[in-house]
Amino acid sequence: MATDHKKGHVQLPRADAIRSRLIDTFSLIEHLQGLTQAVPRHTIRELLDPSRQKKLMLGDQHQLVRFSIKPQHMGRISHAQRMLSRLHVRCSQKPPLSLWAGWVLESPLFRNFIIFLIFLNTIVLMVEIELLEYTNSSLEPLKLTVEVAAWFILLIFILEILLMWLSSFFLFWKSAWNVFDFVVTMLSLLPEIVVLGGVTGQSVWLQLLRICRVLRSLKLIARFRQIRVIILALVRALKSMTFLLMLLLIFFYIFAVAGVYFFEKYTRSTRQDLEYSMFFSDLLNSLVTVFILFTLDHWYALLQDIWKVPEVSRFFSSTYVILWLLLGSIIFRNIIVAMMVTNFQNIRNELSEEITHLEVQHKADIFKRQIIQRFVFPFSNPILFLKGFLTSFPVSTPLALIPFFSYDKFVPGLRTPQLWKIACFFIHCLFSPLYYNLSSFFSTDQLDWETLVHQNLPGLMEMDQDDRVVWPRDSLFRYFELLEMLQYNLEERKKLQEFAGIDLGLLSVWESHV
Amino acid sequence: MSQVFRRNHLRVVSSSLLDTASLAFYTRFRKFKRKDDQCRAFVKRVVTSRLFQIVMISTVSLNAFFMVLWTSYKIRYQLFRVLEISEVIFVSIYASEFSMKVYVDPIDYWKDGYNLLDVVIIIIIVIPHFLRKIKDKHYPYFNIADGIQSLRILKFITYSRGIRTLITAVGQTVYTVASVLTLFFVLMYIFAILGFCLFGASEKGDLNNWGNLAVAFFTLFSLATVDGWTNLQQQLDNRNFVLSRAFTITFILIASFIFLSMFVGVMIMHTEDSIKKFERELMLERHVTLMEEKQVILKRQQEEVSRLMRKQKSVDYKSFSELVENFKKTLRHTDPMVLDDFGTSLPFIDIYLSTLDNQDATVTKLQGLYYEIAHVLSLMLEDLPPKSQSSQKSHDK
Repeated sequence: MATDHKKGHVQLPRADAIRSRLIDTFSLIEHLQGLTQAVPRHTIRELLDPSRQKKLMLGDQHQLVRFSIKPQHMGRISHAQRMLSRLHVRCSQKPPLSLWAGWVLESPLFRNFIIFLIFLNTIVLMVEIELLEYTNSSLEPLKLTVEVAAWFILLIFILEILLMWLSSFFLFWKSAWNVFDFVVTMLSLLPEIVVLGGVTGQSVWLQLLRICRVLRSLKLIARFRQIRVIILALVRALKSMTFLLMLLLIFFYIFAVAGVYFFEKYTRSTRQDLEYSMFFSDLLNSLVTVFILFTLDHWYALLQDIWKVPEVSRFFSSTYVILWLLLGSIIFRNIIVAMMVTNFQNIRNELSEEITHLEVQHKADIFKRQIIQRFVFPFSNPILFLKGFLTSFPVSTPLALIPFFSYDKFVPGLRTPQLWKIACFFIHCLFSPLYYNLSSFFSTDQLDWETLVHQNLPGLMEMDQDDRVVWPRDSLFRYFELLEMLQYNLEERKKLQEFAGIDLGLLSVWESHV
Repeated sequence: MSQVFRRNHLRVVSSSLLDTASLAFYTRFRKFKRKDDQCRAFVKRVVTSRLFQIVMISTVSLNAFFMVLWTSYKIRYQLFRVLEISEVIFVSIYASEFSMKVYVDPIDYWKDGYNLLDVVIIIIIVIPHFLRKIKDKHYPYFNIADGIQSLRILKFITYSRGIRTLITAVGQTVYTVASVLTLFFVLMYIFAILGFCLFGASEKGDLNNWGNLAVAFFTLFSLATVDGWTNLQQQLDNRNFVLSRAFTITFILIASFIFLSMFVGVMIMHTEDSIKKFERELMLERHVTLMEEKQVILKRQQEEVSRLMRKQKSVDYKSFSELVENFKKTLRHTDPMVLDDFGTSLPFIDIYLSTLDNQDATVTKLQGLYYEIAHVLSLMLEDLPPKSQSSQKSHDK
């Protein structure tokens, strides 16, 4: 684009980048082609917000919407905290029940109580099973106690689920752990209901369902954070191994079907001393046999048994067994081990990456605070400070616009340092010479400025959705224009300094000769 | 001699003739253009279409399922017709797929490993028919030929991208696996000969397990996989061999503990390497495509603007700012624009302006220092001549 700046200007890629950003932000190409009347005025948040969406739809419907996708900081704001800041909770006469339910569920006393009950349930079940065989009448009160305890614990579990439903019904179903809890409790509740319903007898299904009581102990895995992490890691490792398992299944199939055909004569042999004659009789048995060979159990005994039958060719049977052992048991099992190890290593790396990411973010926040303080209490040398202020005058026009900035936050009022930041800017612009004697505040710099900036730049560049800035439209245009002009100015100044340096050198040489 | 010479000469001539002839034939063959390009393109489109893949996958799955059914003699007896008809259908589908693919590209067909797998499977399908024709009815190995039909399911791998990537990733480890297996075989060979000489050579030895080399190999393999080795050891003990325990225990330590664990370690290392390489390539590819797209967008933008400016012949726009003058007038101060990229964020402005200020401060400091240097140097030069004159005077004296 050499036609649109003055002659003698070299093309700067930075300036071009700024200009293209300007064009992109304001959709100038579409405007200059006469396509749209205006700049995108709305963001995706306004579209998703139902109240603002209505206003949008009633207004001009040919508006452009700007989309931007940024990752969100995972906040630790719990559902209860969010509920606290809602208007209908704050303005109602009595606090709603869901708030109380949430408070109860999150209190450590209640949580520990539930964990204790789960342990107690396990013990109670064990005692009950032991006592089932004893028909001693002196143990009758013990049996009664154990029965009552089991019912009581079940009731408390149901109560806990009801509390969770009370707290928020729809969020309950979104978490997989809660669904698992619900399923386990309902499953163990089923036999009790069936017994109460009047179905008596020793039917097998009833006994099976009773056994499901034991599943209540599984609720424990949802409570402890470490166990959750391990299970999540396992599930992830298994997910990445699906194709390996599929390949393994294919090989199982191949060897099972081939086994049935290969050992037909062995199956139909009339010898009496064969121990494993039923092992290859039909497909299901063959599959089980292949699995037995996979676990390397009694394979040599099986092979020797097959050799007893003379009609089966020794060569093919030995090849079959040895090939399957090598392929399945030795190679595949070790591939599975290798993939598990790799996956766990990857998971560990990712976790550490996340931790370092959080650290980088934290450092970036500290750095931002440092910059504020640097502006409020700038340079140590007052003369240099004034000089610095004067040289930055051409660029101070955007500084004058800064008081108009505001922050757009989800939960207003939580980040008060930002408001302080705005106030400091205002003060700096208007009353800056008065602050030079407070320079000692920022004199302890271990690193120089450039290294500090480079270290914190990645963290700063990954801004989250909370850090958006609202610009007035014409100020934004002017900002881009001025930034571009600044690049050209800086380039010119660099050239002038070079000339000055050469002249200075010549001057000093000339002076020395005089 | 002259005859020999003539013969040599003839041979030389004929070989050169052969060379030239083959060269000519080869170049002609290379340049040979097939006249049926359109038909080929059509068949190629058919072969690489989604429908074809779905048909093949369903055929292979159905074939596998039927094979499961035919393992039971009763079902085979009752549904004999279905067996015959389905066999005919499956074989015809496989043959037509093979012929279509060969028709599309006869020379490059043989370079792809999965196509070779297809060919092998067709040969395997054909074997029982040939055997039944050639050999008589009581050939004992018919069931073997029927058994290896189960390999047909390997055609499934061609159509599943996930398994293919897995095989590519794991296939790198094949060389290491082969070398470890060779080493293992050598170790077993040494111990087999040792065992044969110690336990199987003499008449009162354990001929059952160590009688000949093949059986010795099997015994050793059983020891290596530590399955039922105590029984074998007991048989050796019953015959009162002195060294048997030491032999067995040494071999189990070396083969089972060291070798098979080494196997696991080597596989872990290679799997890690290949997966890392794979992921790195993926990231790089994605990055490269992203950068290219960005460049394309930037270039397109610039071209658009310059084109617009060149188009405006009616009004004389000298620079970009004049072009957008009208646009600027429509912007109002009260219209908000929410931006969240780094270039318009406050930290960026802070850092940028601080850096510029810092730059200015440094340059000013440097200038000050240079002035001081120049000043001190000039002072030094002023002081110097009187000293040299006085020293010259004293020297003259």
